[in-house]
Amino acid sequence: MRQCKDIAEEASNYINGDLPFAERMGLFFHLVLCKCCRNYLQQIRQSISTLAMIKPQEQSSIDKDELAKQLHDLCHKHD
Amino acid sequence: MRKDERQLIQQLISGDQQAFTLVVSDYHNIMLSVARAIAGNVFADDVVQDAWISAIKALPKFEGRSSLKTWLLHIVSNGAKTRIRRESRSISLDDGWESVAADKFDQRGHRYDDVYTWDIATPDALLANEQLQAIIEAAFQQLPAMQRAALTMYDLEGIKMNDICNILDISSSNARVLLHRARTTIHHCIEQYQDNH
Repeated sequence: MRQCKDIAEEASNYINGDLPFAERMGLFFHLVLCKCCRNYLQQIRQSISTLAMIKPQEQSSIDKDELAKQLHDLCHKHD
Repeated sequence: MRKDERQLIQQLISGDQQAFTLVVSDYHNIMLSVARAIAGNVFADDVVQDAWISAIKALPKFEGRSSLKTWLLHIVSNGAKTRIRRESRSISLDDGWESVAADKFDQRGHRYDDVYTWDIATPDALLANEQLQAIIEAAFQQLPAMQRAALTMYDLEGIKMNDICNILDISSSNARVLLHRARTTIHHCIEQYQDNH
């Protein structure tokens, strides 16, 4: 029988649909019985959706317009 | 290859300045994320610049077997791997990770405390809170580079797990662990905020 700790450890794989059938069913039956774990999984999903909406980016000090210009000039040099 | 992507590549080859601005704007940050994950902060900027130059030179030969984004990420990944080989460095997969807090569970693996639905529950409501948004952003920036790259590629850019494994040169199980750790950290920072407000 799967426990809360298993849900915490496999939450990502469960959400991604990356688990073998038997493993998935084991977690599913625990989720049916355990409201805490259903809430936990829902929170993980909300965290992913929120992050996807914020879409944070890698911090960079590079001037992208300048880089684009340099690459453009390089491309012309090859013509 | 998608029609709009084919058109974009044609514009790049023919030297359309706007096309260059667009691809740099869209792909530079994720390329930097991959470079930092593989080669570390010190070499990342150099690696990405070299990757851009290689990519621009190789563009006429791009056959479109993958998306332009995935192709660029493979170029930056190869450059980063070459760079760390040259510098004889390696980046740890496990830096900065705290395992699932063992004190949350009893010996049989049951939770000690109940988990409730969040008061601020929808992504829209979460986003409307500027303080929380800043906390999430900060937590993202503080993730170890490997976790940040896996999270960015899978959850933010929709890149397939197989491609992520190839780009970061890690096994499928390692990629899944990195993604899970990153998501857990982001969840934890939102959870702490909800508990304190």
